[in-house]
Amino acid sequence: MRSFVKNLTNGIVRSNPTFILLLGLCPTLAVSTSLDNAVGMTGAVLFVLLAANVIVSLLRRWIPNRVRIPTFIVIIATLVTIVDLALQGFAWSLSQSLGMYIPLIVVNCIILGRAEAFASRNNVRQSVADAIGMSIGFGVAILLISLVRQLLGTGSLEVFSIRLFSVPGLADNPASIFLLPMGAFFVIGILLALFRWMGVSECE
Amino acid sequence: MATKRSAAYPIVFLTLVVLFSVVALTLVNEVTEERIAANKREAIKQMLAELFPEMADFTQDEGSGLYSLFDTSAVVTDGETGETSVLSGSLPIGYAFMTDGRGYGGKIGILVGLEVDQAVRGIRIISHQETPGLGAKITQIGFLDQFAGLSPGELAIRRDGGAVDAITGATISSRAVAEGVVQGIVDMTAALEAVGEGGP
Repeated sequence: MRSFVKNLTNGIVRSNPTFILLLGLCPTLAVSTSLDNAVGMTGAVLFVLLAANVIVSLLRRWIPNRVRIPTFIVIIATLVTIVDLALQGFAWSLSQSLGMYIPLIVVNCIILGRAEAFASRNNVRQSVADAIGMSIGFGVAILLISLVRQLLGTGSLEVFSIRLFSVPGLADNPASIFLLPMGAFFVIGILLALFRWMGVSECE
Repeated sequence: MATKRSAAYPIVFLTLVVLFSVVALTLVNEVTEERIAANKREAIKQMLAELFPEMADFTQDEGSGLYSLFDTSAVVTDGETGETSVLSGSLPIGYAFMTDGRGYGGKIGILVGLEVDQAVRGIRIISHQETPGLGAKITQIGFLDQFAGLSPGELAIRRDGGAVDAITGATISSRAVAEGVVQGIVDMTAALEAVGEGGP
Protein backbone atom coordinates (compact mmCIF):
# COMPACT_ATOMS: atom_id res chain seq x y z
CA MET A 1 0.00 0.00 0.00
CA ARG A 2 2.85 2.38 0.81
CA SER A 3 4.37 1.94 -2.61
CA PHE A 4 0.94 2.51 -4.17
CA VAL A 5 0.70 5.91 -2.49
CA LYS A 6 4.32 6.63 -3.28
CA ASN A 7 3.81 5.90 -6.96
CA LEU A 8 0.65 7.97 -6.93
CA THR A 9 2.23 11.07 -5.42
CA ASN A 10 5.39 10.58 -7.46
CA GLY A 11 3.65 11.82 -10.60
CA ILE A 12 2.16 14.86 -8.94
CA VAL A 13 5.27 16.60 -7.66
CA ARG A 14 8.58 14.73 -7.79
CA SER A 15 8.17 13.43 -11.35
CA ASN A 16 5.54 15.85 -12.59
CA PRO A 17 5.27 14.95 -16.30
CA THR A 18 5.11 18.53 -17.48
CA PHE A 19 7.34 20.48 -15.10
CA ILE A 20 9.96 17.84 -14.23
CA LEU A 21 9.97 15.22 -16.98
CA LEU A 22 9.03 17.81 -19.63
CA LEU A 23 6.99 15.16 -21.45
CA GLY A 24 4.05 15.82 -23.75
CA LEU A 25 4.79 19.52 -24.10
CA CYS A 26 3.42 19.74 -27.63
CA PRO A 27 -0.26 19.14 -26.77
CA THR A 28 0.22 20.97 -23.46
CA LEU A 29 1.38 24.14 -25.17
CA ALA A 30 -1.20 23.82 -27.94
CA VAL A 31 -4.38 23.50 -25.87
CA SER A 32 -3.53 25.45 -22.71
CA THR A 33 -5.34 28.59 -23.89
CA SER A 34 -8.36 28.20 -21.61
CA LEU A 35 -9.33 26.34 -18.45
CA ASP A 36 -12.11 24.48 -20.33
CA ASN A 37 -9.54 23.00 -22.68
CA ALA A 38 -7.29 22.04 -19.79
CA VAL A 39 -10.10 20.15 -18.03
CA GLY A 40 -11.06 18.30 -21.22
CA MET A 41 -7.50 17.32 -22.02
CA THR A 42 -6.89 16.11 -18.46
CA GLY A 43 -9.95 13.85 -18.56
CA ALA A 44 -8.90 12.36 -21.88
CA VAL A 45 -5.32 11.80 -20.70
CA LEU A 46 -6.50 10.16 -17.48
CA PHE A 47 -8.66 7.65 -19.32
CA VAL A 48 -6.18 6.68 -22.02
CA LEU A 49 -3.18 6.61 -19.68
CA LEU A 50 -5.01 4.41 -17.21
CA ALA A 51 -6.15 1.93 -19.86
CA ALA A 52 -2.78 1.90 -21.63
CA ASN A 53 -0.85 1.35 -18.38
CA VAL A 54 -3.11 -1.53 -17.34
CA ILE A 55 -2.92 -3.31 -20.70
CA VAL A 56 0.84 -2.85 -21.07
CA SER A 57 1.38 -4.01 -17.50
CA LEU A 58 -0.76 -7.12 -18.06
CA LEU A 59 1.14 -7.98 -21.24
CA ARG A 60 4.60 -7.04 -19.96
CA ARG A 61 5.87 -10.64 -19.69
CA TRP A 62 4.96 -11.43 -23.29
CA ILE A 63 5.95 -8.23 -25.04
CA PRO A 64 9.20 -8.89 -26.92
CA ASN A 65 11.82 -6.27 -26.19
CA ARG A 66 12.63 -5.54 -29.82
CA VAL A 67 9.08 -4.62 -30.84
CA ARG A 68 7.89 -3.08 -27.58
CA ILE A 69 7.54 0.47 -28.92
CA PRO A 70 5.40 -0.53 -31.95
CA THR A 71 3.32 -2.69 -29.58
CA PHE A 72 2.75 0.25 -27.23
CA ILE A 73 1.79 2.51 -30.12
CA VAL A 74 -0.71 0.01 -31.54
CA ILE A 75 -2.27 -0.40 -28.08
CA ILE A 76 -2.48 3.35 -27.47
CA ALA A 77 -3.82 4.16 -30.94
CA THR A 78 -6.47 1.44 -30.62
CA LEU A 79 -7.56 2.77 -27.23
CA VAL A 80 -7.76 6.33 -28.47
CA THR A 81 -9.84 5.30 -31.49
CA ILE A 82 -12.21 3.29 -29.30
CA VAL A 83 -12.63 6.24 -26.93
CA ASP A 84 -13.24 8.55 -29.87
CA LEU A 85 -15.90 6.31 -31.45
CA ALA A 86 -17.59 5.53 -28.13
CA LEU A 87 -17.84 9.22 -27.24
CA GLN A 88 -19.25 10.09 -30.67
CA GLY A 89 -21.78 7.29 -30.43
CA PHE A 90 -22.94 7.59 -26.85
CA ALA A 91 -21.94 11.04 -25.59
CA TRP A 92 -22.19 13.33 -28.59
CA SER A 93 -22.07 16.65 -26.76
CA LEU A 94 -19.04 15.59 -24.73
CA SER A 95 -17.30 14.39 -27.88
CA GLN A 96 -17.95 17.78 -29.47
CA SER A 97 -16.20 19.62 -26.65
CA LEU A 98 -13.36 17.09 -26.38
CA GLY A 99 -13.24 16.28 -30.09
CA MET A 100 -9.97 17.93 -31.00
CA TYR A 101 -8.08 16.68 -27.93
CA ILE A 102 -8.76 12.98 -28.37
CA PRO A 103 -6.54 12.57 -31.46
CA LEU A 104 -3.91 14.74 -29.76
CA ILE A 105 -3.53 12.07 -27.06
CA VAL A 106 -1.88 9.70 -29.55
CA VAL A 107 1.02 12.12 -29.89
CA ASN A 108 1.15 12.80 -26.15
CA CYS A 109 4.51 11.37 -25.10
CA ILE A 110 3.32 11.01 -21.51
CA ILE A 111 1.30 7.93 -22.47
CA LEU A 112 4.11 6.27 -24.43
CA GLY A 113 6.68 7.42 -21.88
CA ARG A 114 4.82 5.84 -18.94
CA ALA A 115 4.20 2.62 -20.86
CA GLU A 116 7.92 2.34 -21.58
CA ALA A 117 9.33 3.61 -18.29
CA PHE A 118 6.81 2.28 -15.82
CA ALA A 119 3.99 -0.02 -16.90
CA SER A 120 6.24 -2.44 -18.80
CA ARG A 121 8.29 -3.00 -15.62
CA ASN A 122 5.69 -2.95 -12.83
CA ASN A 123 2.57 -4.83 -11.83
CA VAL A 124 -0.96 -3.69 -12.58
CA ARG A 125 -1.58 -2.13 -9.15
CA GLN A 126 1.50 0.08 -9.31
CA SER A 127 0.77 0.96 -12.93
CA VAL A 128 -2.71 2.15 -11.97
CA ALA A 129 -1.17 4.30 -9.22
CA ASP A 130 1.35 5.67 -11.70
CA ALA A 131 -1.35 6.47 -14.27
CA ILE A 132 -3.55 8.31 -11.77
CA GLY A 133 -0.62 10.20 -10.27
CA MET A 134 0.77 11.22 -13.67
CA SER A 135 -2.68 12.35 -14.85
CA ILE A 136 -3.15 14.49 -11.74
CA GLY A 137 0.34 15.92 -12.20
CA PHE A 138 -0.44 16.67 -15.84
CA GLY A 139 -3.80 18.17 -14.89
CA VAL A 140 -2.31 20.46 -12.25
CA ALA A 141 0.37 21.62 -14.68
CA ILE A 142 -1.91 22.31 -17.64
CA LEU A 143 -4.51 24.01 -15.41
CA LEU A 144 -1.81 26.26 -13.99
CA ILE A 145 -0.50 27.20 -17.44
CA SER A 146 -4.03 27.74 -18.77
CA LEU A 147 -4.95 29.88 -15.78
CA VAL A 148 -2.04 32.25 -16.39
CA ARG A 149 -2.57 32.35 -20.16
CA GLN A 150 -6.34 32.86 -20.00
CA LEU A 151 -6.08 35.48 -17.28
CA LEU A 152 -3.42 37.56 -19.03
CA GLY A 153 -4.58 36.81 -22.57
CA THR A 154 -8.25 37.69 -22.14
CA GLY A 155 -8.14 39.78 -18.95
CA SER A 156 -10.92 37.76 -17.39
CA LEU A 157 -11.56 34.28 -16.04
CA GLU A 158 -14.32 32.25 -17.61
CA VAL A 159 -14.97 28.57 -16.89
CA PHE A 160 -17.54 26.69 -19.02
CA SER A 161 -19.14 29.99 -20.08
CA ILE A 162 -19.48 31.22 -16.47
CA ARG A 163 -17.59 34.45 -15.97
CA LEU A 164 -15.84 34.39 -12.59
CA PHE A 165 -14.21 37.80 -12.62
CA SER A 166 -12.38 40.18 -14.90
CA VAL A 167 -9.34 42.27 -14.23
CA PRO A 168 -10.08 46.01 -14.57
CA GLY A 169 -7.94 47.61 -17.25
CA LEU A 170 -6.65 44.31 -18.57
CA ALA A 171 -10.07 43.13 -19.77
CA ASP A 172 -10.41 46.03 -22.25
CA ASN A 173 -6.86 45.69 -23.43
CA PRO A 174 -5.77 42.10 -22.92
CA ALA A 175 -2.23 40.89 -23.60
CA SER A 176 -3.27 38.58 -26.45
CA ILE A 177 0.35 37.51 -26.88
CA PHE A 178 -0.20 35.03 -24.07
CA LEU A 179 -2.78 33.19 -26.14
CA LEU A 180 -0.36 32.84 -29.04
CA PRO A 181 2.15 29.95 -29.18
CA MET A 182 5.02 32.20 -28.07
CA GLY A 183 3.02 33.15 -24.99
CA ALA A 184 2.85 29.48 -24.10
CA PHE A 185 6.64 29.24 -24.18
CA PHE A 186 6.98 32.37 -22.03
CA VAL A 187 4.57 31.04 -19.42
CA ILE A 188 6.01 27.55 -19.20
CA GLY A 189 9.58 28.88 -19.12
CA ILE A 190 8.83 31.31 -16.30
CA LEU A 191 6.89 28.68 -14.34
CA LEU A 192 9.77 26.20 -14.72
CA ALA A 193 12.28 28.79 -13.53
CA LEU A 194 10.01 29.65 -10.62
CA PHE A 195 9.72 26.03 -9.51
CA ARG A 196 13.47 25.50 -9.75
CA TRP A 197 14.10 28.67 -7.78
CA MET A 198 11.60 27.67 -5.11
CA GLY A 199 13.34 24.32 -4.86
CA VAL A 200 10.21 22.31 -5.72
CA SER A 201 12.12 20.59 -8.46
CA GLU A 202 15.78 19.75 -8.27
CA CYS A 203 17.97 18.83 -11.18
CA GLU A 204 18.53 15.08 -11.06
CA MET B 1 3.83 -21.44 -31.96
CA ALA B 2 7.19 -19.77 -31.84
CA THR B 3 8.90 -19.76 -28.47
CA LYS B 4 9.90 -16.51 -26.84
CA ARG B 5 13.55 -16.92 -27.79
CA SER B 6 13.03 -17.54 -31.48
CA ALA B 7 13.54 -14.84 -34.08
CA ALA B 8 9.98 -15.23 -35.29
CA TYR B 9 8.44 -14.49 -31.91
CA PRO B 10 8.38 -10.67 -32.20
CA ILE B 11 6.79 -10.95 -35.64
CA VAL B 12 4.13 -13.37 -34.41
CA PHE B 13 3.47 -11.28 -31.31
CA LEU B 14 3.12 -7.97 -33.13
CA THR B 15 0.89 -9.58 -35.76
CA LEU B 16 -1.36 -10.91 -33.00
CA VAL B 17 -1.51 -7.49 -31.33
CA VAL B 18 -2.47 -5.83 -34.61
CA LEU B 19 -5.05 -8.53 -35.37
CA PHE B 20 -6.57 -8.07 -31.94
CA SER B 21 -6.64 -4.31 -32.47
CA VAL B 22 -8.38 -4.74 -35.85
CA VAL B 23 -11.02 -7.02 -34.33
CA ALA B 24 -11.62 -4.66 -31.41
CA LEU B 25 -11.95 -1.62 -33.68
CA THR B 26 -14.25 -3.47 -36.10
CA LEU B 27 -16.53 -4.44 -33.24
CA VAL B 28 -16.62 -0.94 -31.78
CA ASN B 29 -17.24 0.54 -35.21
CA GLU B 30 -20.06 -1.96 -35.80
CA VAL B 31 -21.75 -0.92 -32.57
CA THR B 32 -21.29 2.84 -32.94
CA GLU B 33 -21.50 3.47 -36.71
CA GLU B 34 -25.27 3.97 -36.94
CA ARG B 35 -25.49 5.97 -33.75
CA ILE B 36 -22.68 8.29 -34.89
CA ALA B 37 -24.40 8.86 -38.24
CA ALA B 38 -27.69 9.64 -36.46
CA ASN B 39 -25.93 11.97 -34.02
CA LYS B 40 -24.19 13.79 -36.88
CA ARG B 41 -27.47 14.26 -38.75
CA GLU B 42 -29.12 15.59 -35.61
CA ALA B 43 -26.22 18.02 -35.07
CA ILE B 44 -26.45 19.27 -38.67
CA LYS B 45 -30.21 19.66 -38.27
CA GLN B 46 -29.70 21.81 -35.18
CA MET B 47 -27.18 24.02 -36.98
CA LEU B 48 -29.53 24.43 -39.96
CA ALA B 49 -32.43 25.19 -37.62
CA GLU B 50 -30.43 28.09 -36.20
CA LEU B 51 -30.42 29.74 -39.63
CA PHE B 52 -33.88 28.50 -40.66
CA PRO B 53 -36.07 28.19 -37.54
CA GLU B 54 -39.07 27.27 -39.72
CA MET B 55 -37.28 24.21 -41.15
CA ALA B 56 -38.81 20.80 -40.38
CA ASP B 57 -36.46 18.48 -42.26
CA PHE B 58 -33.76 18.53 -44.90
CA THR B 59 -32.29 16.43 -47.68
CA GLN B 60 -28.71 16.38 -48.90
CA ASP B 61 -27.56 16.10 -52.49
CA GLU B 62 -24.89 13.38 -52.41
CA GLY B 63 -22.65 14.75 -55.14
CA SER B 64 -22.40 18.43 -54.21
CA GLY B 65 -23.33 18.21 -50.51
CA LEU B 66 -26.02 20.87 -50.98
CA TYR B 67 -28.77 20.76 -48.34
CA SER B 68 -32.33 21.50 -49.39
CA LEU B 69 -34.52 22.59 -46.49
CA PHE B 70 -38.26 22.02 -46.16
CA ASP B 71 -40.93 23.28 -43.79
CA THR B 72 -43.68 21.24 -42.14
CA SER B 73 -45.96 21.33 -45.19
CA ALA B 74 -43.51 19.11 -47.09
CA VAL B 75 -42.67 16.67 -44.32
CA VAL B 76 -44.49 13.51 -43.28
CA THR B 77 -43.88 11.79 -39.97
CA ASP B 78 -44.07 8.03 -39.69
CA GLY B 79 -46.61 7.35 -36.94
CA GLU B 80 -44.84 4.22 -35.67
CA THR B 81 -41.15 5.08 -35.73
CA GLY B 82 -41.43 8.87 -35.43
CA GLU B 83 -38.98 9.24 -38.31
CA THR B 84 -39.59 12.09 -40.70
CA SER B 85 -39.22 12.11 -44.45
CA VAL B 86 -39.63 14.71 -47.16
CA LEU B 87 -42.40 14.35 -49.77
CA SER B 88 -40.91 14.11 -53.24
CA GLY B 89 -41.57 17.10 -55.47
CA SER B 90 -41.82 19.53 -52.56
CA LEU B 91 -40.52 23.06 -52.90
CA PRO B 92 -37.56 23.87 -50.61
CA ILE B 93 -37.76 26.95 -48.38
CA GLY B 94 -34.02 27.48 -48.65
CA TYR B 95 -30.64 25.90 -49.22
CA ALA B 96 -27.50 25.45 -47.17
CA PHE B 97 -24.01 24.13 -47.75
CA MET B 98 -20.62 23.77 -46.10
CA THR B 99 -17.65 25.66 -47.46
CA ASP B 100 -14.29 26.75 -46.18
CA GLY B 101 -12.08 29.81 -46.19
CA ARG B 102 -8.29 29.98 -45.90
CA GLY B 103 -7.78 31.62 -42.54
CA TYR B 104 -4.70 32.66 -40.60
CA GLY B 105 -4.45 29.37 -38.73
CA GLY B 106 -5.81 27.00 -41.38
CA LYS B 107 -9.17 26.13 -42.85
CA ILE B 108 -12.26 27.90 -41.52
CA GLY B 109 -15.33 25.67 -41.91
CA ILE B 110 -18.41 27.75 -42.75
CA LEU B 111 -22.08 26.83 -42.99
CA VAL B 112 -23.94 29.10 -45.42
CA GLY B 113 -27.73 29.38 -45.56
CA LEU B 114 -29.28 30.69 -48.78
CA GLU B 115 -32.78 31.95 -49.50
CA VAL B 116 -34.62 30.50 -52.47
CA ASP B 117 -33.55 33.58 -54.47
CA GLN B 118 -29.93 32.80 -53.44
CA ALA B 119 -29.42 35.82 -51.19
CA VAL B 120 -27.57 34.91 -48.00
CA ARG B 121 -29.87 34.00 -45.08
CA GLY B 122 -27.01 33.77 -42.63
CA ILE B 123 -23.72 32.00 -41.92
CA ARG B 124 -22.19 30.10 -39.02
CA ILE B 125 -18.58 29.11 -38.32
CA ILE B 126 -18.37 25.34 -37.88
CA SER B 127 -14.65 24.94 -37.22
CA HIS B 128 -11.58 27.14 -37.14
CA GLN B 129 -8.08 27.42 -35.67
CA GLU B 130 -7.83 31.21 -35.62
CA THR B 131 -5.97 33.09 -32.88
CA PRO B 132 -8.00 33.24 -29.66
CA GLY B 133 -8.91 36.82 -28.82
CA LEU B 134 -8.27 38.05 -32.37
CA GLY B 135 -9.27 35.93 -35.35
CA ALA B 136 -11.45 33.71 -33.18
CA LYS B 137 -13.88 36.62 -32.95
CA ILE B 138 -15.23 35.54 -36.36
CA THR B 139 -17.52 33.21 -34.41
CA GLN B 140 -19.21 36.17 -32.70
CA ILE B 141 -22.80 36.71 -33.75
CA GLY B 142 -22.25 40.43 -34.34
CA PHE B 143 -19.76 39.68 -37.08
CA LEU B 144 -21.76 36.82 -38.60
CA ASP B 145 -25.05 38.74 -38.70
CA GLN B 146 -23.51 41.23 -41.12
CA PHE B 147 -23.71 38.59 -43.83
CA ALA B 148 -27.49 38.22 -43.63
CA GLY B 149 -29.26 39.54 -46.71
CA LEU B 150 -26.10 40.33 -48.68
CA SER B 151 -25.97 39.63 -52.40
CA PRO B 152 -22.81 38.03 -53.86
CA GLY B 153 -21.51 41.46 -54.98
CA GLU B 154 -21.48 42.81 -51.42
CA LEU B 155 -19.86 39.73 -49.90
CA ALA B 156 -16.44 41.16 -49.07
CA ILE B 157 -14.88 43.18 -46.27
CA ARG B 158 -14.99 46.99 -46.66
CA ARG B 159 -11.30 47.20 -47.51
CA ASP B 160 -12.04 44.95 -50.51
CA GLY B 161 -15.09 46.99 -51.52
CA GLY B 162 -17.78 44.96 -49.81
CA ALA B 163 -20.30 45.59 -47.05
CA VAL B 164 -18.77 43.59 -44.18
CA ASP B 165 -16.89 45.30 -41.34
CA ALA B 166 -13.72 43.31 -40.68
CA ILE B 167 -12.75 42.51 -37.10
CA THR B 168 -10.07 44.86 -35.79
CA GLY B 169 -6.70 43.13 -35.89
CA ALA B 170 -8.10 40.15 -37.75
CA THR B 171 -8.36 41.29 -41.36
CA ILE B 172 -7.06 37.98 -42.70
CA SER B 173 -9.59 35.92 -40.76
CA SER B 174 -12.46 38.25 -41.69
CA ARG B 175 -11.49 38.24 -45.35
CA ALA B 176 -11.16 34.45 -45.30
CA VAL B 177 -14.77 34.11 -44.14
CA ALA B 178 -16.10 36.49 -46.82
CA GLU B 179 -14.05 34.87 -49.58
CA GLY B 180 -15.04 31.41 -48.36
CA VAL B 181 -18.73 32.28 -48.64
CA VAL B 182 -18.29 33.71 -52.16
CA GLN B 183 -16.27 30.70 -53.27
CA GLY B 184 -18.89 28.39 -51.78
CA ILE B 185 -21.70 30.05 -53.72
CA VAL B 186 -19.66 29.79 -56.93
CA ASP B 187 -18.95 26.10 -56.25
CA MET B 188 -22.63 25.44 -55.63
CA THR B 189 -23.98 27.27 -58.71
CA ALA B 190 -24.38 24.11 -60.78
CA ALA B 191 -25.99 22.18 -57.93
CA LEU B 192 -28.36 25.05 -57.14
CA GLU B 193 -29.44 25.28 -60.78
CA ALA B 194 -29.99 21.53 -60.94
CA VAL B 195 -32.15 21.59 -57.80
CA GLY B 196 -34.10 24.59 -59.11
CA GLU B 197 -34.81 22.87 -62.44
CA GLY B 198 -35.71 19.62 -60.75
CA GLY B 199 -38.60 21.26 -58.92
CA PRO B 200 -42.18 21.19 -60.20
